[in-house]
Amino acid sequence: MPRINLMGVRKSYGGGGPNAVEALDLEIADGEFMCLLGPSGCGKTTTLRMIAGLEHLSDGEIRVGARVVDSVGEGVFVPPEKRQMGLVFQSYALWPHLTIERNTDFGLRLRNVPRAEREARVTRVMKTLGIEAYRDRYPSQLSGGQQQRVALARMLAVNPEVLLLDEPLSNLDAALRLEMRAELKRLHREFGTTIVFVTHDQWEAMTLATTIAVMSQGRLQQVGSPNEIYDRPANRFVAQFVGNPPINMIDLAAGTPLAVSARRFLGERSPDAGAVGLRPEAIRLGGEAGDFAGPAEVTGVLPTGGSWIVELESDGAKLFLTTHQPPEVGPGERVRFAVRPEALHVFDRDGSRSAVADAAFAHGRMN
Amino acid sequence: MSVTSPDRTGAKAAAPARRLRYRLRIAASEPTTLIGLLMAALFAYLIVVPIVSLLFDAVQVQLGDQRRTGAEVGSFTWYYLERTFGSRVAHHLFWGPLVNTLTVALGAIVLAMAVGGTPARLLARTDMFGRRWFATALIVPYMLPAWTFALAWTTLFKNRTVGGQAGWLETLGFAPPDWLAYGRVPVTIILALHYAPFVILLFGNALRRFDSQLEDSARILGAGRLTVMRQVVLPLMRPALMSAMVLIFAKCLGEFGVPYVLGLPVAFDTLATSLYQNIASRQSGVAAVLAGAIMLIGVITLTIDAWLMREARRFVTVGSKGSMDRLSPLGGWRWGATGFAALMFALSVGLPLLTLALSTVMKVPGRFALDNFTLDYWIGTGLNTVALQTGILLSPDLWNAAWNSLRIVGIASLTSGLLGLLVGYVVVRTPFRPLGTFLRQVTFLPYLVPGIAFATAYLSLFAVPRGPIPALYGTWVILMLALIADQMPYASRAGIAAMTQLGKDPEEAAQVAGAGWLRRMVSIVIPIQKGALTTGVLLPFISGIKGLSLFVVLAVPSTDVLTTFSLRLVDYHYTQAANAVVLIIAALAYFGALLGQKLTRSNLAEGLGG
Repeated sequence: MPRINLMGVRKSYGGGGPNAVEALDLEIADGEFMCLLGPSGCGKTTTLRMIAGLEHLSDGEIRVGARVVDSVGEGVFVPPEKRQMGLVFQSYALWPHLTIERNTDFGLRLRNVPRAEREARVTRVMKTLGIEAYRDRYPSQLSGGQQQRVALARMLAVNPEVLLLDEPLSNLDAALRLEMRAELKRLHREFGTTIVFVTHDQWEAMTLATTIAVMSQGRLQQVGSPNEIYDRPANRFVAQFVGNPPINMIDLAAGTPLAVSARRFLGERSPDAGAVGLRPEAIRLGGEAGDFAGPAEVTGVLPTGGSWIVELESDGAKLFLTTHQPPEVGPGERVRFAVRPEALHVFDRDGSRSAVADAAFAHGRMN
Repeated sequence: MSVTSPDRTGAKAAAPARRLRYRLRIAASEPTTLIGLLMAALFAYLIVVPIVSLLFDAVQVQLGDQRRTGAEVGSFTWYYLERTFGSRVAHHLFWGPLVNTLTVALGAIVLAMAVGGTPARLLARTDMFGRRWFATALIVPYMLPAWTFALAWTTLFKNRTVGGQAGWLETLGFAPPDWLAYGRVPVTIILALHYAPFVILLFGNALRRFDSQLEDSARILGAGRLTVMRQVVLPLMRPALMSAMVLIFAKCLGEFGVPYVLGLPVAFDTLATSLYQNIASRQSGVAAVLAGAIMLIGVITLTIDAWLMREARRFVTVGSKGSMDRLSPLGGWRWGATGFAALMFALSVGLPLLTLALSTVMKVPGRFALDNFTLDYWIGTGLNTVALQTGILLSPDLWNAAWNSLRIVGIASLTSGLLGLLVGYVVVRTPFRPLGTFLRQVTFLPYLVPGIAFATAYLSLFAVPRGPIPALYGTWVILMLALIADQMPYASRAGIAAMTQLGKDPEEAAQVAGAGWLRRMVSIVIPIQKGALTTGVLLPFISGIKGLSLFVVLAVPSTDVLTTFSLRLVDYHYTQAANAVVLIIAALAYFGALLGQKLTRSNLAEGLGG
C-alpha cells in the first residue's frame, strides 16, 4: 500500500475568488485512516477530489507511492480511471440502471477479471457488507444504509490501494451511522487499505481516524492523532472546532473581569497570550491551590443522559462545564469554578498555541 | 506533516509552458472539450453561417438582377431593402402582409384566450366530469398539423371563387361569401383553435401550481370570490397569460400552411406566404429581406417572452404546501361545464377530422347519398385523373413521400436527439465555461427564427456549391440538415435538463472505478438517459412529421415528404387525395405522441409546447 504525498497543492476556481485550497503539504502514510476534518467550504472535499484526479491542480504535485499522478511543474496528469483508487460519494452515486450485483462487479468487468474469480470476489465483498440478499435488486429498491454499503462494496471489490470516502455517513440516521462507523473501522483492519475520509463531523473523525487533518479556509490547520488534536490543539480554530460542548474561550483583550483575572493568572509565564481556552470537562467546582479559579453563578443545569452540562456565569461571561457526576448545585447558586493550570490552553495573539505557556505549565502536566 | 524538499517547492513557480503542458494532459485525458469544440464548429456551420449568408443576400446583388440594379453579382446594394420597404410594390410585398400577419396573430391570440381560458380553469380547478380525459383530448388540436383544419375548412366552406370541386355548404344550397370562405376570418379562427391548447397548457399549469393558501388568506380577510379573482389570482397569473400570448404570436408569425391554403384564393398574404411566393418566383434578394424581417420580429417577440419569464420568477408561488390540486365543486354547473368541454372537443377535433375523413370517401362533396360514397380515392385503380391513376394508398408517390418523411425526419430526429444529449453533456461537464455558453446559445438560435425563414437561409447557403460542399438543393440531405438545426433548440434543452439532473457523480464513480470516456458514455450515461433520449428523439420526430414550413421551401418533387406532397395535391385540386394524406399525417402525429406517452410514462402533450 502506498503513501500519498501532497506537495504545495493549490486549487483556485478562478474568477478572483480566494483559493479553495492553499499551499497544502500533507503526507498520508501507508495503511493510515486519515480524516480530513473541517467546516463546510474549507476545501476538504476539493482536496479529496484532487487526490482522485477529479479536480485539477492549479499548482503543486501529488504522488501516490513513487508515482507522480499530478504535477503542474512537470506537466504530469494521470486521469482518474488510471489511478486505481476507490471513491465513495456522499450521494453514493450508484448506477440506477444496474442491479446491485452489476454495480458491484463493474470495476472487475472493466479489468477483465475472469468470471469465476469475479463472482467469488463479488460474493465475498457482498457477504462482508451484508448485502448479498439484494444482488438482483436495483438501487432505488434499497434503503439509504444498504445503498451506502453497495457504494462501499463497489469500490472494495476491486481492492483499491487507496480508498477515498466523501462524507459517506452524512445521509444516514444516527443508529446506522454508529453501525457503519464500526464497519468502516473493521474494514480498515481487514483490508489494510489506506483510507482518506472527509467529514465535517468531529465525532466521526475522532472515533474513526488514526490521523486527523483539520482544515479551514483552504489551509491545513493541524495534523495529528485524535488525542493530539483534542488535547493539544495547534491554534484557536482547532481548539474551537473540536470539542462538544465547545471549548470556553476567554479573549484576553476583551477586558472583562474574567479576562483580567486570567491575564493576571498567566502573569509572566505567557507574556504574548491572547486567549485562554478551558475545556468544559476540565472545569470543576471547588478546586485547590494553584488553580485558575473564580466566582460564578449557576444559571442552568442541563442533563444530557449520563452526564450534565452546567451553565455558569462569571462576571458576565458564560462558561460551560460538563460532569459525569450529578451536580449538587442548582440555578441561582453561587459557586467557585477552578481549572488545573496544566489543563489551560493558552494561545498567542496570532492565534497559535503558546509554546512558552506549555513549557511553563508542563510540570503539572507530567503528574 | 510532509517533508517537502526544496526543489519541490520550485513547482509552485512552474513555468507557463509547463503549466500549459499540464492543462494539455488534462484535456487529452478528457475528450469532453474536444467534442464540445467539434460540435461548436458544426453548429456554427449549420446554424450561424446560413443566417449570416441570408443576411448578406439581402444586401448583395443576386444572380439575374445585374441589369435591374446596374451592378455586378455580389456587390453591395440597397435595392432589395428599398424594393421591400419603400417601392411601389412594397405594400404588396411587405406592408400588407405585415398588417395581415399582425392582425391575424392578434386576433388569434384574443380568440385563443377566450376559447382556451375557460377550459383551462375548468380542467385545473374544478370537479368537472372526465377531467383527465379532457385534459388530453383538448390538447389534440395542437398535436395535429394546423392546416389539417384549413383543409377541413375549405372542404366545408369553399365557394366558386376558385375552381375544383365545390364545398359542402355550396352543394347543400348555401354559397358562403368570400370573407367566410377565405382570408382573414378563417385563418384567424383556425389559428385560434390550433393554439388554444397552448393557453390550456400554460395557463392551466400555472393555475394548478397556484398556492391556494393565497386565495384562502384573502377569503379569510373577507374578500369575495370575484375580488379574490381580480386582486389575487389574475395579477399572479399575468406572467403565464402574457407568456402564452407571446408564444402564440411567435408561432403565428411563422405559420405557412393555413394562410397558404385559405389566403391564396383571395390574395390574402401574410409574411410567410409572401416570402414563399418570392422564393417561388426566384426573387431571392427580396426573399432574404423578408426572411430577415420575420427573424427580427421573432427575436423581438421572444426577447419579450424571456423578459416576462424573468418577471414571473419574482413571484414564488410554486411548490409550496398549498399548491396541491384543490378542486372547487361546480354543483349544478357540473354537467354544463362538461357539456361545454365536449362541445369544444367536437368543434376543434371531431368536426374537422370527420369532415376530412368523409370528404375522402365522397365523389361529389357534400352530397350525402349512398351511391356518392366510394373508397376509390383510397384504394381505387384506373381512375380517370391526370396525375393520380390509383387511390392514394396504391400510389407510389405516397409511399415515396412517406418513405422520405420517415427517412429524413427519422434520421434528423435521432441525430438531433443524440447531439442534444451531447450538448447537455458538454455544457454540464466542460471545465471551459465559454464553450458551454456558446453551445447553449447557438443551439437555441433556431428557436428565434421561424422555420420558413430558416429554410430560406438554408436555401441561400446551400443552393450553390460552397468550397468542398456541393450544391445540396434538390437532395434530401439539405432537408435533413435543416431539420436537425431546426430541432436543436428542443433537443439541446432536453439534453441539458437531463444531464443537469443526472449530475456528475454517477459518471465520476465509473471513472474512478476505471472506466474510460467511451465506456462511461456507453455503459453509464446513455443507459441512464434512455428516457430523456427517447423523448428527445420522439418529440422532434412528431413535429417533423407534421412540419410544413421548413420543407415547403427546400423540397422538390423528388424529395417530397408527406406534407409537401399533400400541399402539391392541394395545388392540383385533388381534394380527396390531399385530405387523405393529411389524415395520414395527423394519424402519424397523434399515435406517435401516444406512443411517446406510453414509452416515457409522461404527459407528452405538455412537452409539445415547444
